Amino acid sequence: MNVPTTAELQDLYYRMLRIRRAEEAIAARYAEQHMRCPTHLCIGEEAIAVGVCAHLTESDKVFSNHRGHGHYLAKGGSLVGLIAELYGLAAGCCGGRGGSMHLSDLSAGFIASTPIVGGTVPVAAGYAWGEQRRNSNNVVVVFFGDGCFEEGVLHETMNFAVLKKLPLVMVCENNQYSVMTPLYERQPARDIYQIAAAHGLQAVSGDGNKVEHVHALAENALAAARNGEGPQFLELHTHRWPEHCGPNEDDELGYRMPGELLAWKQRCPLLHTGRTLADARVGAEILLALEQQIGAEIALAFSEALAGPAPALASMERHVYV
Amino acid sequence: MSEILTLSYGAAIREALDDGLARFPDMLLIGEGVPDPKTIFATTQGLREKYGAERVLDMPLAENGMTGICIGAALAGMRPVLVHQRIDFALLAMDQLVNNAAKWHYMFDGKQSVPLVVRVIIGRGWGQGPQHSQSLQAMFAQVPGLKVVMPTTAGDAYHFMLDAIADDGPVLFVEHRWLHHVTGQVDKDRPAAGLSRAARLREGRDVTIAAFSHMTIEALKAAVVLTEHGIEADVVDMRCLTPLDVDTVARSVAKTGLLLVADCAPEMASLGHTLISRLYQRQQNALKQAPRLIAYPNHPVPTTHFLANHYYPGAERIAESALELLDRRPLLDSVRRQLQSDLAKDQPDRSFVGPF
Ligand SMILES: Cc1ncc(C[n+]2csc(CCOP(=O)(O)OP(=O)(O)O)c2C)c(N)n1
Repeated sequence: MNVPTTAELQDLYYRMLRIRRAEEAIAARYAEQHMRCPTHLCIGEEAIAVGVCAHLTESDKVFSNHRGHGHYLAKGGSLVGLIAELYGLAAGCCGGRGGSMHLSDLSAGFIASTPIVGGTVPVAAGYAWGEQRRNSNNVVVVFFGDGCFEEGVLHETMNFAVLKKLPLVMVCENNQYSVMTPLYERQPARDIYQIAAAHGLQAVSGDGNKVEHVHALAENALAAARNGEGPQFLELHTHRWPEHCGPNEDDELGYRMPGELLAWKQRCPLLHTGRTLADARVGAEILLALEQQIGAEIALAFSEALAGPAPALASMERHVYV
Repeated sequence: MSEILTLSYGAAIREALDDGLARFPDMLLIGEGVPDPKTIFATTQGLREKYGAERVLDMPLAENGMTGICIGAALAGMRPVLVHQRIDFALLAMDQLVNNAAKWHYMFDGKQSVPLVVRVIIGRGWGQGPQHSQSLQAMFAQVPGLKVVMPTTAGDAYHFMLDAIADDGPVLFVEHRWLHHVTGQVDKDRPAAGLSRAARLREGRDVTIAAFSHMTIEALKAAVVLTEHGIEADVVDMRCLTPLDVDTVARSVAKTGLLLVADCAPEMASLGHTLISRLYQRQQNALKQAPRLIAYPNHPVPTTHFLANHYYPGAERIAESALELLDRRPLLDSVRRQLQSDLAKDQPDRSFVGPF
């Protein structure tokens, strides 16, 4: 497995921190009641989006689901566009029509996220088919959860993707929960990635909270997909810290095992990578400078987004038919 | 003497599920989130504890497969109640619902039937947007073999749920999310309606308002204000979609001569249209004026509240239309003022602060 250099690791750290701080800023402002849409935060899961997307070129494509902020930012989606979208403003990446659950930034190669579970998985495969037929050398990545793995459409898609050897990388973020239902109430005890392997995908599993690990697994998978070896499957283990939907934590509801959240917080991707950087003698002042840079960028993005107008009433009926 | 309970619509559903589980040993209650701490907006609260995890259970995220499995279980003698937190998710189960559940009794010559209840929740608000707030009841109502009910009051929610569980065929039980907090009276001993007929909720001589689901609440609000101006509306709650009770509306129209239909779905191919068309075919001459239809526009709901606030018609529009039908336009301004609310239209009430 290729180990990232210290400079690469510092960059990965920066990208994860940027997602974390953006999500925290959204959570902090959510109670003000101006972001009026369901919002699924990815705090705790940043290493997967960052470790995978770090290898993607601008012309590679990404599809995602309801929990898409991290994927969107990791692929280079506009931060101002995201924030304006959450506020329902005209400058939002979907003009306010979509909100948190529907993101898109075509200039960054982030094609779409939608909230019907499984909805984007076959679409991503179809996009990969199109890329393959145009001999573009681009790879398509689709992110989804362990709950999504239960949907029939996912298995139908795997079958076709293998049949056509599509340049598709399927990334399953296994956080053990579907809303508040634990994995053991939904699936028998067996490995998700091995089922993908049985469909004929090249499949591996790994620690989704160690960005260097994700980075290495994704490098192999993307290279294989690009080389015409067919669809790849990554099952990455992680945990979501906040409630399924909304800005708060909800451990008091008791659907997790006692101590489970705390244990995962000790496996925080930022904490882990921060320690590795410290061991590599990257000084605290460098990480602090990254904090400051990100803090300033996010503050600016909020003020820039909020300065824009609401969408025009007439735009509501636009774009139903082409 | 029968005891009359005052319950919210959501609590009435919970009560009916509770009584159903007690009365029908073969009933199962299944769905994503059924036993989780939020218990489908509290409608399944405490039921797993009371009836056990074998009868009250969560399910994999597999709408189509699990619907088929419930159909099979129903054929084998169980009475499953399957819940989808949003009607949009039931689209993934269309094949099993339409091709199997709805057709089984017919295609096997009446020898088998599927006693299945599917709860689907429609609704609006807080940026649910294009894929999470559709009102697709008309699509389901078009399928022969599937009974579709859309109760508005707590009393009907209770009785329709129990009737649906007892029914030997498949029933789609459509709940509007904004009704869950509306309270009403539940008389458990009231005679069963048998999943049929509309209900007259208010008597009036001047104009007939036939409304569906949450629009009935809006119609009642409008009717209260119209009364203050001497206008009495006859409000009919179209709580059963199949069969659609045209008789009750026809009787009302015979008296008022004016018909206003308020649907909570896009206008295109809506039940509102079906009702108007059937009524017109039957008694064209009873209408003093062309009927009016209030429904949603034929485009998706944008997520942004800046626009969604203008998407949903409510009591104001109903009252305006009634005044226009009655040629009482001078009252428009004062009625509008009385019905105006500063509550944003993505919030069902002031206690609601998102995100759902
Ligand atoms: C088809 C469909 N069914 C149900 C839902 C409701 N829902 C939204 S997210 C979610 C859980 C998805 O779990 P998973 O795929 O593991 O992703 P995670 O939220 O854990 O990131 C569910 C059930 C939905 N959006 N779409």
